[in-house]
Amino acid sequence: MTKDKNKTQTREQYNLQMHNYGRIFSWISMALILFVPVAYFIASKTVPSVKALVKCIPFLLGYFAVGLVEAVSYAPLLGPGGQYMSFITGNISNLKLPCSINSQAIAKVKQGSEEQELVSTVSIAVSSITTTIIIVIGLIPLFIFQEQIVTILNPISPYVIPAIFGGLTVVLAAKYYKTAAIPFISCIIICVGANLAGFGKVFDQSTMVIVGMIVSGLSTFILYKKNKI
Amino acid sequence: MAESYTIIYVIGALVAAAIIVMSVFFIVKAFRRAKLIGMDTKVLKKTIKNSAIFSIVPSIPIVIGIGIMMQYLGIAIPWIRLTVIGALQYELIAMDTAGKALESVAPNYTSQMLIANAVTVMTLSILGGLIFNLIAYKKYQTKLADLQKKNAKLMDAITGALLSGMLSGMLSAILVGGIFTVGKPASYTGGINNYGEIVLITLAASVVIMALCGLVMIVFKQKWVENYALPITILGALAVAYAFVPLFDSRYIVESQKAIKLLWAVVPFVGV
Repeated sequence: MTKDKNKTQTREQYNLQMHNYGRIFSWISMALILFVPVAYFIASKTVPSVKALVKCIPFLLGYFAVGLVEAVSYAPLLGPGGQYMSFITGNISNLKLPCSINSQAIAKVKQGSEEQELVSTVSIAVSSITTTIIIVIGLIPLFIFQEQIVTILNPISPYVIPAIFGGLTVVLAAKYYKTAAIPFISCIIICVGANLAGFGKVFDQSTMVIVGMIVSGLSTFILYKKNKI
Repeated sequence: MAESYTIIYVIGALVAAAIIVMSVFFIVKAFRRAKLIGMDTKVLKKTIKNSAIFSIVPSIPIVIGIGIMMQYLGIAIPWIRLTVIGALQYELIAMDTAGKALESVAPNYTSQMLIANAVTVMTLSILGGLIFNLIAYKKYQTKLADLQKKNAKLMDAITGALLSGMLSGMLSAILVGGIFTVGKPASYTGGINNYGEIVLITLAASVVIMALCGLVMIVFKQKWVENYALPITILGALAVAYAFVPLFDSRYIVESQKAIKLLWAVVPFVGV
């Protein structure tokens, strides 16, 4: 019966199924994540300082809002399966999204097609498995040689993002130069202004991704209305 | 190193298992759907290979992040935090914020109190995206799908705009951040220096290596390069960065030599 249903399943029905499964996995993950602090309080017989937590509320709200904005803006790029998995496993802008974009470019799938969604889902799923396995494998030497490993490898940590995004820009520049020109110039101006005004740390990579998406959304909409793209 | 309790390791194992089960489940579903709509599953098989290769190098800083955080939080909590939702930069800022807030209200705090506060702040502040997915994403995605049906050109423009925006934001932050730290390195997580010069060199190396891969692919008709171009680029650019670090930080040479010596001294005892 189910097999017959699947044989005639429309894209909408498939996506609905993805939402249901994605929500189940999201609830399970949230329960596990929220249980970590509770388990620590019980195991260590310690309670957190409420006064100190109250002082962290502005930070909590700020990051909560960033999470919401990221979920709204990444959704059209990730597809249903990819969206649920990405917001459970994290490391989106530095790993999951570039991985998905790279796979889509290699597979040459059409934007907005179901094939694109499937490639994105598989790409993010494989990336999540790979990272989880590497972390587990990495824990063993880390436990034994923590200081040495950190000393040897840490100096290149700040350069992983430039190493990814330089190459990715070459891949995407030819395809998106029309929509990318205005946001890129605007972002450079905003970034230079922020650094000159002493707010360079506030306008870091994660902030600028959101700024870039807003500027790009506006400028592309104007170009679209004027039939320039 | 702070103490890690067995129950936290158990939760960590459950989290890792849940992620693997979920990922395999979505892969299986995607393959079944691909067959149903007549999509060549070879494309998805190729995606598996590409994505696995691509994800290896960017995962290394995550492991290093656990190494940095475990000094303060033990090994189990950073493991969980960096396996789900979090990202290294965010987790360190959250930990730092919680530590400073605790110091201001209870200067004689214990390491357990620090961990209790840090893990609470880290957990709560990262839930925005997950809660959006649980409450509003289904409706939002349905609206996006409707738009795709009614006006595919506009939807293409939206996705193009989001990709362009992400690239523009990221590139401008890397470029301008790099230029503004030339000659005055910024401190990076783990107490190391982040040199603007090396950021710019790495970015340039990444562009050049990717362009060379493209050239090899087109001029010499080596199509296989396409699948490995980005991993090759990332590794090559990082090798260039690694070569330049000692030039900018003479202290690094002494410390890394010490570390390598130590590593070689313990290798015979663990039979590596």
